[in-house]
Amino acid sequence: MAERFDKHILKDGMVILGEPMEGVGSVAFGFMLPAGAALLPEGFCGAANVIADWIFRGAGDKNSRQVGDALDGLGLQRAGSVGSSHISIGAALEAGNLAKAIDLYADIILEPTLAEDQFEPARQLAIDAVRSLDDEPRQKVMLKLKEQFYPSPLGRSSVGEIDELKALTAERTKQIVKDNFNLSQTIFAVAGKYDFDAVCRQMENLFETAQQQPVEQFGLGHKAGRYIHIDNEGAQVHIGLMTGTVRPIDEDYYNARVAVSVLSGGMSARLFTEVREKRGLCYAIGASYHGLKEAAGIMCYAGTTPEKAQQTLDVIIGEFNRLGEGISEEEIERAKVGLKSSLILQSESSSSRAGAIGSDYYILGRVRSLDEIKSKIEQTTIDSVVGFLRSSKFEEFTVVTVGPKKVSI
Amino acid sequence: MEFKKKTLANGLDIIGEVKKSAKSAAVGFFVKTGSRDETKQINGISHFLEHMLFKGTDKLSAIEVNEAFDRTGAEFNAGTSWENTAYYAAVLPEYLEQVTKLWIKLMRPALRDEDFNIEKNVIKEEIAMYRDTPSFDVMDKCQSLYFEDHPCGNSVLGTDESVDGLTSGQMREYFTRWYAPNNIVFACAGNFDWNNISSIVETSCGEWKQQEVGRKLSEAPGGRKKKRVEKPNLVREHICLMSAAPGAQDETRYAASLLGIIIGDSVGSRFYWELVDKALAEVAITYFFPMDGVGVFYNRICCSPENVSAVLGIVEGIFESLCKGGIKEDELMKAKNKVLSKLVLENELPMGRLSALGSNWIYLKQYRTIEDDIRAIRAVSVNDIHSLIAQFRPSEFTQYSIGPAKTD
Repeated sequence: MAERFDKHILKDGMVILGEPMEGVGSVAFGFMLPAGAALLPEGFCGAANVIADWIFRGAGDKNSRQVGDALDGLGLQRAGSVGSSHISIGAALEAGNLAKAIDLYADIILEPTLAEDQFEPARQLAIDAVRSLDDEPRQKVMLKLKEQFYPSPLGRSSVGEIDELKALTAERTKQIVKDNFNLSQTIFAVAGKYDFDAVCRQMENLFETAQQQPVEQFGLGHKAGRYIHIDNEGAQVHIGLMTGTVRPIDEDYYNARVAVSVLSGGMSARLFTEVREKRGLCYAIGASYHGLKEAAGIMCYAGTTPEKAQQTLDVIIGEFNRLGEGISEEEIERAKVGLKSSLILQSESSSSRAGAIGSDYYILGRVRSLDEIKSKIEQTTIDSVVGFLRSSKFEEFTVVTVGPKKVSI
Repeated sequence: MEFKKKTLANGLDIIGEVKKSAKSAAVGFFVKTGSRDETKQINGISHFLEHMLFKGTDKLSAIEVNEAFDRTGAEFNAGTSWENTAYYAAVLPEYLEQVTKLWIKLMRPALRDEDFNIEKNVIKEEIAMYRDTPSFDVMDKCQSLYFEDHPCGNSVLGTDESVDGLTSGQMREYFTRWYAPNNIVFACAGNFDWNNISSIVETSCGEWKQQEVGRKLSEAPGGRKKKRVEKPNLVREHICLMSAAPGAQDETRYAASLLGIIIGDSVGSRFYWELVDKALAEVAITYFFPMDGVGVFYNRICCSPENVSAVLGIVEGIFESLCKGGIKEDELMKAKNKVLSKLVLENELPMGRLSALGSNWIYLKQYRTIEDDIRAIRAVSVNDIHSLIAQFRPSEFTQYSIGPAKTD
């Protein structure tokens, strides 16, 4: 059966997207609000994390407890995240409760109480989340890596900075909600079992307002630097490494994806083979494509005991550089099968489809069908991938280490 | 959905649940062994053996195994717990036969010395990684403190010392006994042809030799020990509280899973409203973990070192109010809705069905449909939860904490 996508745009510009799925009893939905870390005013890094909590602490005619109880009463599996561009909030649930859930989320987005006494705990939790990172070096290294790699403000920490969080006031945060919860730039995505006409009617009633002025866009600044080390007397050196590549909208996107898959798509891929299987340097080692609308990179993580850290980094960089020297027929076949399979396997989950169509629309301005992606992957060849790698060599690596020992770059 | 089953003469159980409308299938071997089946001398061997299965057979090298998996595009992995070792893959239907045949081969591994020695380094890196993950470490250590000398107190990963001491000879011996067909379940779920897959398994695994194998169950000691360990590089206090709970075969396990949600689901629970909502702790979660013949509740908390005594005071208050005042009807209703929707979502994916199929067979030798589980959850009453609280007394816990050096 051919895939179908639903799309409707409200008069204020809010985009409603849907992907019906057969044979499921669940539905997943998500709102992408233009209030991600990069869109916040300078000096308020971390405010998005506070907002994503504060808006749930009372909305419409309900207090914090009543909002929580109403969401739980519907059995929602809640999901939320703060990214560079958006605060995303949503849930997966039994399809019968969708309309009630959308009503609740409309209150949370349009009429959050934002009570003063609820601001303090929301901010405190955001500060604690930053502090906790010191105890989770694997997370910390990747967060710092994005911060170092992307030109400012794209890589801004999604959890924020303690000083800036401490300086944040309820009043200022309220203003950010007012400025950034802009319906004209909001995307709503739903996937699974739903009636699109009913969803659209409900969304029109709740969210159709006058067109709003767009949220101020940012200009891109400088990159932070090539190498930083954060001292931590832990058991391992946690290494994060990132290098630039093409964006999802660029022509060579699929060549880049296949190249990353040759490097680290499965257990037979080069990094796992060279770093773990042949040398036993690491347990956790892997690289993946990380794409934003404005910039993209290949990011790699490895965790290893201090005496092996330098060798691990050297082998990783060696493998990045060796990619452009050529890849075999077998390798590219495995890379393509891996990419295509994971695409189809993920397509069985309503949450992952709702996320994928929303992010496609934001980044590309349209939703790609699975067939389109599959055929683009199939069209790549050794020549196209190697040609791409040779024309855009990995010239600069941004490296972050957290642990008891530095490495040299 | 259609359930299928066959038991071979050597005791291997083959089970499947066919759902032709699925886009994929999931397949796995479930071996009834884990760290609780180890002695202190060979602690860590079940997990190490799980890694060694990927190192190949007499005819396949480790690199060839990895290539063979990746040619199918399968999402595959394995995991070892205190009592089970599972090998599984999610795959498109056209590659299922290939992946099944590969798993079958790997279940009779070569266990070469050369691979064993390289992989020892990888295992020690994994141990080091978890030492840097206090949220994991605190639960692992608390489990050992709670179970004392009971075999469920054996660490899954082992220690650097125990892993260093392991020999490939010990591993072969352990393998022969515990990976006997009568101690293994093969399961498949999703879009697949039962006759084809079951006959492949039958033909290839029919020769595997049966062994005398089995686990002796014993009561868990429980107890109310407290221990705190300082790690100067930490900034938060990581606390685990463990108390007794029903085991995997116990009829009250559904009530226990609901009680866990009521006490410490990540949102909307008693812990959430008393601790997280008030920003006294950033994490306060309860997990119900049923095992073979025993069960535990874990309560994991992470907070600032200054808040520890306030947080523990509140936790004790929550447990006390549960014992004295019980729970309310609408608390139970919300917990049921959450558990039911999670159940429905998980079971929409073949991988979710595989894991339910495998664990029901391992613990109960029973096929249960999603509807069976939904009915069982709906049937739990407030009184059932009250009896459970009276029987298991969550306030009687073992406490393990890891945190920074105390400044006072």
